Amino acid sequence: MLGTAILGAICGMLGSFAVLRKQSLLGDAISHAALPGIAIAFLITGVKDSNLFLLGALISGLIGTFWIRSITKNTHLKSDTALGLTLSLFFGFGMLLLTFIQKQPNASQAGLDTYLFGQAATLLAKDVWLIAIVAGIALLILLVFWKEFKILLFDEDYTKTLGFNTRFIDILITTFIVITIVLGLQTVGVILMSAMLLAPAAAARQWTNSLEIMVILAAIFGAFSGVVGTGISTVVGNLSTGPVIVLVASGIVLLSFIFSPKRGLLFREIRFRKNRNNIKMQKTLAFMYEIAKTHEHISHPHAIKILNDFQGFSKRSLQELVDLSYVQINGQQWSMTQKGFTTAANLYNQQIEDTHE
Amino acid sequence: MNSAQITIQIIVTLVAIACAIPGTFLVLRKMSLISDAISHSILLGIVIGFFIVEDTSSPLLIFLAALAGVVTVILVEFIQKTGLVKEDTAIGLVFPALFSIGVILISKNANDVHLDIDSVMVGDLSLAPFDPLLINCQEGIADSCVNLGPKAIWVVGIILIITLTLLFAFFKELKVSTFDAGLAAALGFSPVIMHYGLMTVSSITIVGAFDAVGPILVVALMIAPAATAYLFTKDLKKMLLLSCFFGVIASIAGFWLAYIIDASISGSMTTVLAVLFLLVYEPIITSVVVSFLTGVGIIFYQWYTFLMAQGIELDKMLLGKKIQTVFSEFIFLDYFYIFVMTSIFSATLIYILPKRGLIYGYYKVRQQKTEIMLLVFLLHIRNHTEESERHVKHLNEHINWQRLRSQSIVALAEKNNMITVTDQIISLTEKGDDFTEKAIDYIITNKDTEIEEMKDDFFLFRG
Repeated sequence: MLGTAILGAICGMLGSFAVLRKQSLLGDAISHAALPGIAIAFLITGVKDSNLFLLGALISGLIGTFWIRSITKNTHLKSDTALGLTLSLFFGFGMLLLTFIQKQPNASQAGLDTYLFGQAATLLAKDVWLIAIVAGIALLILLVFWKEFKILLFDEDYTKTLGFNTRFIDILITTFIVITIVLGLQTVGVILMSAMLLAPAAAARQWTNSLEIMVILAAIFGAFSGVVGTGISTVVGNLSTGPVIVLVASGIVLLSFIFSPKRGLLFREIRFRKNRNNIKMQKTLAFMYEIAKTHEHISHPHAIKILNDFQGFSKRSLQELVDLSYVQINGQQWSMTQKGFTTAANLYNQQIEDTHE
Repeated sequence: MNSAQITIQIIVTLVAIACAIPGTFLVLRKMSLISDAISHSILLGIVIGFFIVEDTSSPLLIFLAALAGVVTVILVEFIQKTGLVKEDTAIGLVFPALFSIGVILISKNANDVHLDIDSVMVGDLSLAPFDPLLINCQEGIADSCVNLGPKAIWVVGIILIITLTLLFAFFKELKVSTFDAGLAAALGFSPVIMHYGLMTVSSITIVGAFDAVGPILVVALMIAPAATAYLFTKDLKKMLLLSCFFGVIASIAGFWLAYIIDASISGSMTTVLAVLFLLVYEPIITSVVVSFLTGVGIIFYQWYTFLMAQGIELDKMLLGKKIQTVFSEFIFLDYFYIFVMTSIFSATLIYILPKRGLIYGYYKVRQQKTEIMLLVFLLHIRNHTEESERHVKHLNEHINWQRLRSQSIVALAEKNNMITVTDQIISLTEKGDDFTEKAIDYIITNKDTEIEEMKDDFFLFRG
């Protein structure tokens, strides 16, 4: 559980960078690209040592990443095609090697495919330590190069003109993303790794516009989904850990999408309605103003029916106008108050000012 | 070839073509990764379908799986439309979630039945010929069925026919909506319908091919041939044909590769696809590497059989050990010339390939450099009327060229009758003046192709 928590945190942390750099699906591609590395590592050594597999996966993941980079740079193929190519071709090659391994006479190859789907239950204390150490190093590097990372994210050209070595920073962060992915493979598996990298970051993005807070939030979300996911899967028997973690993370994303105060769908809808009502009310008021202007006395009563010609009118908006004491209603008649008149006059001026700004 | 082999080859060919056609459009529409997303989330459809009918061969499963694919696309679009995240993030959020639900449903409910992730996620082609489509079965009577041949042929064949029909029927619409959605909408055919139509076809194709080659490899068959073809051509029809061609080549070659090394067919198909792509993308390195590996493979195999014949029990060893043993007995120099020959042969072949070879590329870059330098030179001459600026020796300082280079440019310009040099003072001829003026026009308006015409007009680089 500790392992998944740390893993979730580090995924969230680094995932923030991936998401902001529009490399969201890099995780997906890399986690698939790691397969041939694992297979080759086994083919050559014949030992089922997880550190060795990690090394193999790391190497082939890095090759995949730089392949993606060079394809998008050198050809007119777009990054999605490059990602898809890397993902499927590497994975296919990995499958070839896996089936080739399975045909080999010695029988110790069983269990290679747990890497495909991941089992957090198989995590040993040793692995947790490894994850923790990598997380620590990643955190350290993140803190040391914070300024560079941040500036690289938002304005690459500017970074270059400032004299930073963008290539180095780029390679550094990509390498760490790849390392994380490779570490995560064992826990949540190839297919779900991309969600682990993405979901916490995407959720955190909804709550803040600041990179610092986003990274911290993403780490918290990641750790939370790791803990809760593992917890659920141990309490409810027969559930594989990876998918549960992913679902928890997806749930967090969903909640963030709906409830985040600034960007969330719920509040946006509320804001939207409020604005619409406001506009409706202002339109009615402006209409009334136009009528009232033509009369000597502004509080001259008019029939409500007149407003029927006008679409912005509704019982609710009228009531609101009364509440704001812009308008008085006597039976079927309405009349404007002095306050309403000035507001409407100012409203008109204000609008003109707004458009001129 | 026995009949099973022929059947498999027919199936892989059909799958390759059926995948290559929607794949081309996906690549062009920058939606390649949607295919990956669909291929994962159809698991959910299959699982739900399985719980409803408890039968892995029911057509309802295929229907629900395709539906799950379309649902994925709709969800991705929806999340993207909210503007909260970018499209790729939306894809990355949707399909793992759906896939996870599928996996959890399986592990929760289907333990006692024959449905596990491996069997769903990794297809096996070698069994396809032995899974016949049986119709008209009567209860209780054995062999009463009419055997229509392998089911996969029927499934993929029907999908291919549908795809082809739709392609021919809506080619124009697809083309316009792919390259200019706005124009398509203005012309009156809805890009939205085209989009979802394409998604539905892709989804159905993925589901159909899924059984045969497994999901990831469907993605490979969709993207890789199209991407390879896209490197060759920008003409849509040619691209479609080429991607079908690459798909078919890779499928058949992949089948035989799998046959030789005794490994999964879909895996080796993907490997061939990868090699094909690399051959087009990075011809020199790939050809050298491939020929080198083949050379090593052949030599290794010869030594392997040789050692086996001597009674060393190599086949019980691991590959790593095997390599060690074989190479410890191996005298490298004997075979060195094979490496050299194959490498040199393929390298030279690629080097001199027109338009793609390294030498051609180098030449072209140099030529373009010279063109630009000539242009700069002519502009300089045109802008300066005073004689001191137009002295031959003066150019070195002013345009910052090395002496040798400036000399060659001057020589080139002179050869093209663009300048005349009298007493080391350069002046533009009428032709040079004309050319420079046109060049300025070109630079200002930045119209493509004009510079090519200009070259024709002035016989540049043709003495």
